[in-house]
Formats: sequence, C-alpha cells, structure tokens
Amino acid sequence: MRSRGAAPRAALHVGAVRGGSSGGGAPRTAGGGVPRRRTAELGLLVWVALLALAGFAAVVGAETSAFGPAVIVVPAIYLGLVLALHVFLVLRRFRGDQLLFPLAAALTAIGLVLVQRLASDLLLQQLSWALIAGGAFVATILIPRDLTTLARFKWTWAFLGLVLLVAPLLPGIGREINGAKIWVKIGPGSIEPWEAVKLLLVIFFAGYLEEYREVLAQAPRRIGRFPVPPIPYLLPIIAMWGMAMVVMVFEKDLGATLLFFGIFLAMLYLATGEAFYTLIGLALLLGGGFVAYHAFPHVAARVDIWIRPFADELRFGAGYQLVQGLFALGNGGLIGAGLGNGLPERIPVVWSDFVFDAFAEETGFLGAAALLAVYLLFVYRGMLIALRAPTTFLQLLAAGLSFIVALQTLVIVGGNARLIPLTGITLPFVAYGGSSLVTNWMLVALLMRVSDASARIRGT
Amino acid sequence: MVRPVATNIRALTLALAVAFLVASVGVAYWTMFASESLAQDPFNPRLIAASRDRPRGQIVDRNNAVLADSVPTPDGFKRTYKDRTLAQVTGYASFQFGLSGVEAAYADSLIGQDAADPASAWRARYLRERLPPGAVVLGIDEKVQKAAADALGGRRGAIVALDPRTGVILASVSVPTYDANEIVDATKQQTAWDQVTKAQDKPLVNRATSGLYPPGSTFKVVTGAAALESGFDPNQKLRVDDPYQADKSWGTYFVRSASHAHGDFSMPDGFRLSENIYFAQVGLRIGAAKLADYAKRFGVGGAPACDLAAAKGQLASEGSIDRPTLLADTSYGQGELLVSPLQMALIYATIANGGVMPTPHYATSVRDNQGHVIREIAPGPIGQVIRPDTARALTAMLVGAVEGPGAFAFGAKIPNVHVAGKTGTAENVPGSAPHGWFIGFAPAEQPTVVVAVIVENTPEGGVTAAPLGAAVMRAALNK
Repeated sequence: MRSRGAAPRAALHVGAVRGGSSGGGAPRTAGGGVPRRRTAELGLLVWVALLALAGFAAVVGAETSAFGPAVIVVPAIYLGLVLALHVFLVLRRFRGDQLLFPLAAALTAIGLVLVQRLASDLLLQQLSWALIAGGAFVATILIPRDLTTLARFKWTWAFLGLVLLVAPLLPGIGREINGAKIWVKIGPGSIEPWEAVKLLLVIFFAGYLEEYREVLAQAPRRIGRFPVPPIPYLLPIIAMWGMAMVVMVFEKDLGATLLFFGIFLAMLYLATGEAFYTLIGLALLLGGGFVAYHAFPHVAARVDIWIRPFADELRFGAGYQLVQGLFALGNGGLIGAGLGNGLPERIPVVWSDFVFDAFAEETGFLGAAALLAVYLLFVYRGMLIALRAPTTFLQLLAAGLSFIVALQTLVIVGGNARLIPLTGITLPFVAYGGSSLVTNWMLVALLMRVSDASARIRGT
Repeated sequence: MVRPVATNIRALTLALAVAFLVASVGVAYWTMFASESLAQDPFNPRLIAASRDRPRGQIVDRNNAVLADSVPTPDGFKRTYKDRTLAQVTGYASFQFGLSGVEAAYADSLIGQDAADPASAWRARYLRERLPPGAVVLGIDEKVQKAAADALGGRRGAIVALDPRTGVILASVSVPTYDANEIVDATKQQTAWDQVTKAQDKPLVNRATSGLYPPGSTFKVVTGAAALESGFDPNQKLRVDDPYQADKSWGTYFVRSASHAHGDFSMPDGFRLSENIYFAQVGLRIGAAKLADYAKRFGVGGAPACDLAAAKGQLASEGSIDRPTLLADTSYGQGELLVSPLQMALIYATIANGGVMPTPHYATSVRDNQGHVIREIAPGPIGQVIRPDTARALTAMLVGAVEGPGAFAFGAKIPNVHVAGKTGTAENVPGSAPHGWFIGFAPAEQPTVVVAVIVENTPEGGVTAAPLGAAVMRAALNK
C-alpha cells in the first residue's frame, strides 16, 4: 500500500503552503498585502472586450434583431463582470494560470453575441446565467480551502452525483424536454443536473484512482499480453459508471451517456496508462451502441439521420435539423457570410444545439477553425496545469476537467458536422443554457485553483 | 513500475489534438468542399431566401407571356403562377418546401447568378451582391399548350409536344394538376401541401417527363427499326393465326391479336392494323440481343437528358430480355417495358428527324434584367440512332397506320396534311382499363411537331388518344 502513504503526504504539503501564504482565504493578509498583478490576463481581456463589442456591433448593424437598450447594456454588464472577476483575482493575490480566464471569457462573449444574433429574446436570461456563473466561479475560488480535501470526500461526491442523476426521473420534480428526461424543475426554470454530475464524477474518479491506481495498473496476473485487473478494486468504478449508463438509458440522453463513458475511459487511462482498458472500453461502447441501435428506437433514429440525412423521408422529418445545419455550414465558405448575414435561424433550436454551425456559417471556415483553436488552447493549458500539479490527485483532477471540455466540444462539433451521430451535448461556454455555463465556469475555477496550488509550491 | 501520470497526460493531449484536427478537416469539408453542391440543393432555404427581399426572375413562354412572376407585397416579394396547366413545368419556389420544375432547374438563373456569368456567382458568393435577375424563356407555345390542355380536359394523363428538329418542348400537360400559388402562400401552404402530397393520383408529378407507363403498340417502331436494320424484308409476309405461340414450351402462354386476326401480314400491314402476333414473330426472328440493342439506342431503360428532371424507364425488370415469351411480349410493347411520354416522343422525333435524336429541353434561353440573352439553350442532338433510309421507311408505314384502309389511328388525320403516327393500348394492372396512347408527327414529309398523348385507364385505348394528338398537331401547324 505504497500509494496510500504517498498521497496524504503530498496533501499535507500543499495544505501547509496554501494555508501559510494566504492565511485562511482572506485577501491581503499575508505576503505584505500587495495585490499581485496579472498583466497577461488583463492584456488578453482587452481583446475579449474588443471581440464582444465588435460582435454586438456587427449583429446590430446587420439588423437581424431590433435595436434596444439590451444591446448596449448587456455587453457593458458582461464586460463589467469580467473586469470585476479579474480585480477579484488580483486582490486575492491569486497565482494561478492567466490564460484560462480570458479564454473562457472570450467563449462566453461569443456565446452572448450568438444568443443576441439567434434568439435575442433569451439574451437577458443568458446574461443572468453569466452573472450566476461568475458567482459560482468566485465561490469555487474561495470556498474549498484546500483542494486535496476534495479527495477525502470522494464517496460523498459519488453519492451526490447519483442523487443528481436520478433526480430527473423522480415524479414531481423531473421534466421531459424534447424527449430527454434530464431536467429538474427549480422555481420557474429548470436545470440539467448532469452538468454538475460530470464535475462530481471527475473528482470522484481522481480521488479513487489516486488511491488504487498502482493496484489497477500492476495487475498481478496476465493472460498473454493482457492484464487481468483485480476485480474488487475495479468494481466501485464500474458500478459508478454502470449506474450512470442505466440512468442515461432511462433518461434517453445519448450525449450525456457518451460523455460519462468518455470520462470513465479517459480517467482510467490517465491513472493506469493501460491502453488495454481503453480498447476494451471502446469495444464495449461499440457493442453497446450496436445493441442500443437495435433495442431503442430513439438511438436507431439518431444513427439513421447520421447515415442518410438527405433521404427524402428524413430531410423533412427527423433529419430536418441536421440538413439545415449542413446547409448553414455550406454557406460558410472560407470567410463566412458575415455576422447577421447568414440564414442560420432556419435551423430549429439553433441557439442550443447548432450554435457551432451558425457561427461557421457567418464567420466561415476561418472563424470555425479559430473557435476550435480557442478550445484546443484551453485544453492544452488545462493539460499543462495537470502536468505541473503537485499530487497525483490534482494531476488526475486537472486532466479530467480539461478532458471534459475537449470531449464536449468534439462530440457536438462532430455531431454538427455529421462526423458522428448528433447528440444533445452543448458547446461549452458558447451554447445557450444556464446549467452548462455555471458548471463550466466552476470547472475553470477548479483548474485555476490547481494551477495556483502548484505555483505556490514552486514559489513562482 | 507504474507509468507516471504525466506520460499518460501527454499521450491523451496528443490524441485530443489529433481529434481536433480531424474535426477541423470535417468542418473544412462542409464549409468549402461540399459548399457548391449544398448551395444547389433545391431545398436549401438560402436559394429561396434570396428571392424574398428581391424579385425572383420571371419565367416566360416563347411569346414573352409571363408564366411566373414576383410581385411586391408588404411582407416581401411573393411568387405568382399564371398557367395552371403548366404547374408541374414551372414548379414552385416555396420557402417551406423547396423548389421544383423550372424553379429548381434554373434556380441560379432566377436569382441572377446564371452559370454563363461566373462573375455574378462570384459576386453573390463573396460580396453578397446580386444583380436584379432577368428571365428564363421557355419554348412553350401558348396556342399548342392550350390545345393540349383542352384536348386532355379533365382526363388523367399527359400530352407532350416538341419540335423534332431542335428538341424544344412546345406543350406539356399533366393531369391532374395543382395550384402552385397555394404552395407558396404563407396562409394556405400547409393545407395545400398536405393535400397534394397525400393525393392518390399524385398531382405534383409531371407525368410527361416522369410518368412511367407500358408503351403498348407505340413501341413497335423500335422492333421495326431493329428488323429493318438487320436486313429483314418488310414486305415478306408472315402468317398470323390468333392465338399464337412459337412452340409447345410456352405451355399455356399465348400472344393475342387485338383483332383476332387470321392471315398473312407484311410490316406495313402490321403497323396499319397494329398486329401483335406479327411483331412478336419479328422480334423472335431478330433475337433478344438485337431488340435490346435498338431499345437502348433509342434510350429505353434510361432517363432522357432533359433540363427538367425526367424519370428513368425500364426495358425489363431484371435488366435483360432473358426468355422467349418476354422477347415476344417486348416486341409489341408489353412485357416489362416502362417508358415516359417524353421518352416515346423522342423515339418518334428520331424517326421524324431522319434518324437523329434531338435533346429535349423546356427552356430556350436565359435573359438578363436588360432583356439581353446571356445564354442560349440549344443542346445539340444526342446522335444518329438509325439510318436515314430506315427512318424514311418507318415514316411511310406510320403514315399508313393513320391514313391507310382500316387504320387504327384514323382519328389522328388532319385535312391536307400527311400525318404519321401510331396508337397504343397498353395493358397495365390486371382488372383496370388499359392506357390509351397516340404518338405521331406531321407533316410527314418535313415534320415540325411530334406529339405524345397518354390517357390513363380508358376502355377505348388508343382510339381515345388519336384525336387528341390531331388537335395538338393542328394547333402547332396552324391548320
């Protein structure tokens, strides 16, 4: 049980440094009380501001929506929020990564511009969610005094995750929207609890795998070249995944199922380095997909739409949305129609499901590739934070969180561009939707906390 | 020793970077490489949206009578269609249901981006500037079109008339029809669409180009052409005794004569009296390979190269004539043959045109908004299908089939003009009345019009169709 001993030592170490320098979370209590400048971040935020203002100006100039006070007030409030968060980080003498925050802020700004472009009546709602997301970001930066304590409560997170997963199935509070039962009624609105579950799942996996990864990776027996994992240690993790799968089958959400499976495989690989587990997992995925194709009509329908969306019986029916999305992509060309000059509003529910195609139509391949580059940069930065993290738990946590953003982007962009069947996953930060925006900002905060922890240990 | 987590993080990051690259390639494919074909898709709302805030080009006939126009309304431009008998030809441009007919085939030209003017397409694509569109001119002749529509009246069927020298379509009627104005009317479109798409007798289908029917006796010219060019002597008499079978292997299968004939027949007699047993024997003599070869040369089994969508016919369901009874039946136009009226009109146009098959087309030119012709649509002939002397011999026999003693197609006669033609009575679904055909051309010496008529499910068959053909030819010839 070497691993059991190693982790707590590292945790103590981090805890000591963290506690010593910032003195229990109150700003300006240690290190001379001088705010720590975040010059790179501030410089990048200037570009974010320009991007947001140019975007709103272009959409208003193209006269796709009526000119109203919201068009000026919304970007002003949003940029005020971004600046306030930056000042908060500076005052708190936060030492974490300076790139992630501007990247996420830029993506959220693009999201607001696109909501104004595609569904301007939802703009104020999306701005409110951005404000709540900002609050969640601050809370995540402040509240867990030591990230390592997250690992200690891993079973709590697992239990909470399961409760949230099952919640939409409970009568009374669960809601079904567009065939998927993934919503929970809260007051006048509704939220998607699985957005939070993905974070809890990564925290649980990181905590569990840190403890047992050596046992899992050094299989005592091998059949030929293949390791036979010690089943008792694999069991909790499989059980967790299995329950997620079953619930997802009942809630009829392919996207979330794919995301959970992806997180499971990626975390297992990150912890053990056994490509064999990944291969088995992919085989299971294909097998499960095959069974689901024959067993569940809603899965079969998705696959049919993917294979032949232009068939006459599909293009006016179930495949209408995808075909309209492809038309939008086709209108993009190299440089796009220009913000406000395309016709993406012909795609049903474009503001949440097909926001990528809408963006690609109006900014062209160059715009779409640039957007993908922003995501890749975000993921790269997150993985870099993982590499530099001081403990295995924090490494697994940061890599897992970055992987969520990568996988979500790939699954929805792949679905929008007909590379894989379409699922209901949202484009992180950009697509309209509150639950997603809030959890993604918490994810950013967690990644920055990991980075902050390593910076403090290294003394940089 | 367990691999350090850092190594795994690097490997995963690399895999994700590759996946992002694949996704970008996919996006590049749709935005740039598939862009053209997506833009041309008749159901792409972007094509039609271009005509909501600006007028869409007119569709006019050969005398500049407007068939489709864009009129300004408070909600933008609205499309109106003037001639209900041309509904399937002009088609519709619906924001909801896409495009059809000329609206689809000349979609680019009608929004001011004709293919003959690549600069306009380039300007539209990259600068979002479109010139005001001009017009698409059809070869439809109002007088012939009206004669065809009146002749068919309310009967289900189709009439197509074309100029055998150029392939220009002069008239095209398909019954039942529909009102395209309702398909593009925001308040009525859904009801109208449900009605026309659910109707049993398919009013949206242009029966002239896309209706598929057994050709019946009108197909005998193909058998005749194949025989004449194989050295078969048309004056050689063949014995006809109803019912007929080549040998006992046919079992209970017989070829029947429409007139229960017993006698000796030459090829002119065969055409004049439309004798199935005569042509069955001719087919058996020249063989399946020869007949199939000539059917293919005449385009049977393919889709005519028309500017509007045209259906692909069929020679035999398995693709080849693989048994003697099928050869016999195919020789007089039954068997498993399926053809469109346009396809049959083209076969007769070939005979009328000295053996050269013309390319059929509805539109004759595209004009810009100043009225200048920017593109002449005059596709050359498809090619020499049969020898000129074969065409002459067939023409003479087809004149006999209209004007000779006891000729079946007597109803197609026109005073002072020699008419060549052939009726057909095509058996289709057992238990329902046969389809009546007439296909002919005039004047026989120098044909300027070919007409194909089909009347669905008429007990009299070809006898019903022949006078309708005459009415259309008279309108075309001003007689």
